Amino acid sequence: MNAAVNTVNLSSAPHARDKWTTPFIMRMVALSLLPATVVGIWVYGWNAFGIVALAIVSAVAAEWVFNKICHKPSTIWDGSAVVTGMLLALSLGPQTPLYCPVIGSVFAIVVCKGCFGGLGKNFINPALAARCFLLISFANAMAIKPVIDAVATATPVGAMKAGEVVNVTKMFLGTADGVIGSSILALLAGGLLLWCLDIIHGEICFSVLIGFTLFMGIFGGKGFDVNYLLAHLCGGGVVMGAFFMATDYVTSPVSKLGQFIYGCLIGVLGGLFRLKGNTADSFSYAIIIGNVCTPLIDTYIVQKPFAYRKVGKTRKASKEPFRIPKPVIALTLIAAIAGVALSGVFSVTKDKIEEQEVFKQSVAYREVCPEATSFSYDDKAQEILGDEGTETENATIYACYVGKNAQNDLVGYALSVGAKGFGGQVIMALGLTPEGKITGINFTELKETAGLGMRADEPEFKDQFPGKSVSVDLVKGAPQDDNDISAITGATVTSTAVHNAVNAGLNFYETVLKGGN
Amino acid sequence: MKKYIERLWNGLLKENPVLVLMLGMCPALAVSTQAANGIGMGLSTLAVLVLSNFVISCLRKVIPDSVRLPCYIVIVASLVTVTELLIKAYLPSIYEALGIYIPLIVVNCIILGRAEAYANKHTPLLSVMDGIGMGLGFTIALTLAGMIRELLGAGTVFGLRLLPESFGMTIFIQPPGAFLVFALIIAVMNAIGIKTRQRQLVESGCDGNCALCSTACEERKAEAAADAKPASEQKGGDKA
Amino acid sequence: MNNPSLIMIIVTGALINNVVLNQFLGICSFLGVSKQMKASISLGGAVIFVITIASAVASLLYDYVLKPLGMDFMKTIIFILVIAALVQIVEMFLKKKSPAVYKALGIYLPLITTNCAVLGVALNNVQDGYNFIESVLSGFGTALGYTIAIVLLAGIRSRINEKDLPAPLRGAPIVMIAAALMSIAFMGFGGLK
Repeated sequence: MNAAVNTVNLSSAPHARDKWTTPFIMRMVALSLLPATVVGIWVYGWNAFGIVALAIVSAVAAEWVFNKICHKPSTIWDGSAVVTGMLLALSLGPQTPLYCPVIGSVFAIVVCKGCFGGLGKNFINPALAARCFLLISFANAMAIKPVIDAVATATPVGAMKAGEVVNVTKMFLGTADGVIGSSILALLAGGLLLWCLDIIHGEICFSVLIGFTLFMGIFGGKGFDVNYLLAHLCGGGVVMGAFFMATDYVTSPVSKLGQFIYGCLIGVLGGLFRLKGNTADSFSYAIIIGNVCTPLIDTYIVQKPFAYRKVGKTRKASKEPFRIPKPVIALTLIAAIAGVALSGVFSVTKDKIEEQEVFKQSVAYREVCPEATSFSYDDKAQEILGDEGTETENATIYACYVGKNAQNDLVGYALSVGAKGFGGQVIMALGLTPEGKITGINFTELKETAGLGMRADEPEFKDQFPGKSVSVDLVKGAPQDDNDISAITGATVTSTAVHNAVNAGLNFYETVLKGGN
Repeated sequence: MKKYIERLWNGLLKENPVLVLMLGMCPALAVSTQAANGIGMGLSTLAVLVLSNFVISCLRKVIPDSVRLPCYIVIVASLVTVTELLIKAYLPSIYEALGIYIPLIVVNCIILGRAEAYANKHTPLLSVMDGIGMGLGFTIALTLAGMIRELLGAGTVFGLRLLPESFGMTIFIQPPGAFLVFALIIAVMNAIGIKTRQRQLVESGCDGNCALCSTACEERKAEAAADAKPASEQKGGDKA
Repeated sequence: MNNPSLIMIIVTGALINNVVLNQFLGICSFLGVSKQMKASISLGGAVIFVITIASAVASLLYDYVLKPLGMDFMKTIIFILVIAALVQIVEMFLKKKSPAVYKALGIYLPLITTNCAVLGVALNNVQDGYNFIESVLSGFGTALGYTIAIVLLAGIRSRINEKDLPAPLRGAPIVMIAAALMSIAFMGFGGLK
């Protein structure tokens, strides 16, 4: 892939400008990123410098090596690898471990760009895709830890989400916590330079900003409060994304109308994710989703009007005369035979299966209520629960067993509770002492994501429960209070399900079981 | 005897169901989060595949052509349900380990694909060998992908810790990682020159997506043969 | 069982828990058909129709026939028969009323029968305990997600020129890498409530 500009380029991007060659453009972009880089390093220190340097070096090296492996001429002199490295570095937090920019740069250059054929052939912004790749791979390491404000527990964006007010001026100058490229002032300077040189399209960057602002204004809950909107604009990579990422003309639409739609889409999605999402980064995902839609926008905004309809949608069945063709009879016969066979097997195995279920349950109950030698239904409690169990707001209590020891004394309760997890119902046996303290939980049904939700079954998570009573609170990170349970990183749904189920059980104790049978 | 062995080898490498024929990708991507899952799913599928190939091959003269797909589906679904019920009842420990995969086998395109492409045109014994070959190929592909994903994602292989916990790149346990790892495996196979059926076809001009080519592939094969390229001596057509 | 709002069911099915990029259902046709934009759109439309109606019928059958009779284990077979019948109907209808579309879809239409997504959705609805309305919306949302995914991938593939790619990546690998990147992008929807 060469950087020569005067060849006729039949693909949609990049567009050869008459005055600018690709190396020139890349140099201007690097130049325009320089102020933000310098401010970032100055504010955040040597860590930041290390990240920036490593990102750039890794990107260039990766491109050189990849070109060699593919027997293609070296393209590192067109400067695009340098720009990718800079963009990636600026979007990382200053405390990010140094292997992140390296792995990220390699991913950006090799997978996002090189595999597709090099400069101009990628469909997704390499720096942003790499950032999201890192976010998903190294969730903990990528979390931005406050450097400047040692007291704060979150970045300004995190604080805003929690409803606090932040210092917008600091964010504007770049002296607040955030990613390395946080100085809005510096970014704006560079961005406006690019816009004036006509290297980036105003349609894109301004429609992104306007789309985002409008969305936050309408849906943010604070109306068009200037401080609130400015704060959101200055945080979370909005400005950087708008001027430097979304405008990459390889991955953005060609037509003016297309660019406008693309920009608005990104702005709106960014706002949606900022308000409603809980992923670590809202704008990066919004932009790469925009990238994914670009080819579609290009296909239809240029050539065909909006009225293009999907074909193949039918609504009514035909009105043919009703005859049963012979093959259908054969099919029905086969189905009937299969049905009979299945019923046969089912009735044979039905009891055995139930036996296994009961056995599995009793093992679970015994584990959470070890002193009991027998479990019995508590009639009154079961009456309250009903046949199928009781549903609370977000959990279900299936059954309640009373554990008695050999002397027929009450030694505890075993409740079967469940809640909707990620892959189905999460059902567990919850053991309680007669005083309502948790003795333990034991999952009887857990079909969550391996490596994430399934970790609920590990002692690290399960052992948090014994001893708690009345109710538990789910927190991210370390527990602050006695009744706090740390959620599993990356498995919020599963953790919430367990938390809801346990609370339902505890609540049941408080309202029904307490004070004797 | 040779043709039976050939079926085995075919399923393992030349026409590996997941990596070449692109069948059974759904469960392959979903289940290969750990190496152990790969073996579990693979072996369960192998069992059902062999049975299904056998039954359909025996019935091949009986099933009417126009409704053959629904018939196959009914047969396969019944076999899977029977397997699930039997395992649930009599082998509870195995059910604990494999239970969730068994219903997934119903939506495994490999079983239908082989029924359509092979079992309904060949004798039961050959079909059984084909089933074994394909099942083994599936198992190996899944286990390999599972090993890679588990190693990169959690640092373990079959539960044995090989890398420190902090090295885990969680993305590999998740959907993007699945796509990436399979892309990698297929690319490596291509790079080291394994002449799979797909490679030959890609080089002769089609996109190699056998899962959909069906009759069109026959024509292209004929063209390729006419171009003095030695056509692969495959019996039967490709899958629908 | 919590009852999520009806809009959320559609959004969840389409974007948050996308049938192809998250649940890995329907991959075979997703990888194969996305080569051509027109075929992708046609297939998407057909899939929306089949899945929505199949979800509706399956839900009714399950709630009023299978469950009361305790024949839960028959659901797989019954659902598949329903799907096969529906596809048959669509095929017959298209053949008569719109032969051009029928021809354009070609082999992809009967493939819907074997599309794991259709059966997968029906089974998921049962597992999630959705009532009739919820099942229909969930089916529609899922099919919408399938259509979005396949159309987007078709757009991306139209930009890929095989000649530019390194040789080992031509064919299936590059499509999977594109799907991986799409999957990363869609994970942005993952946190939405």
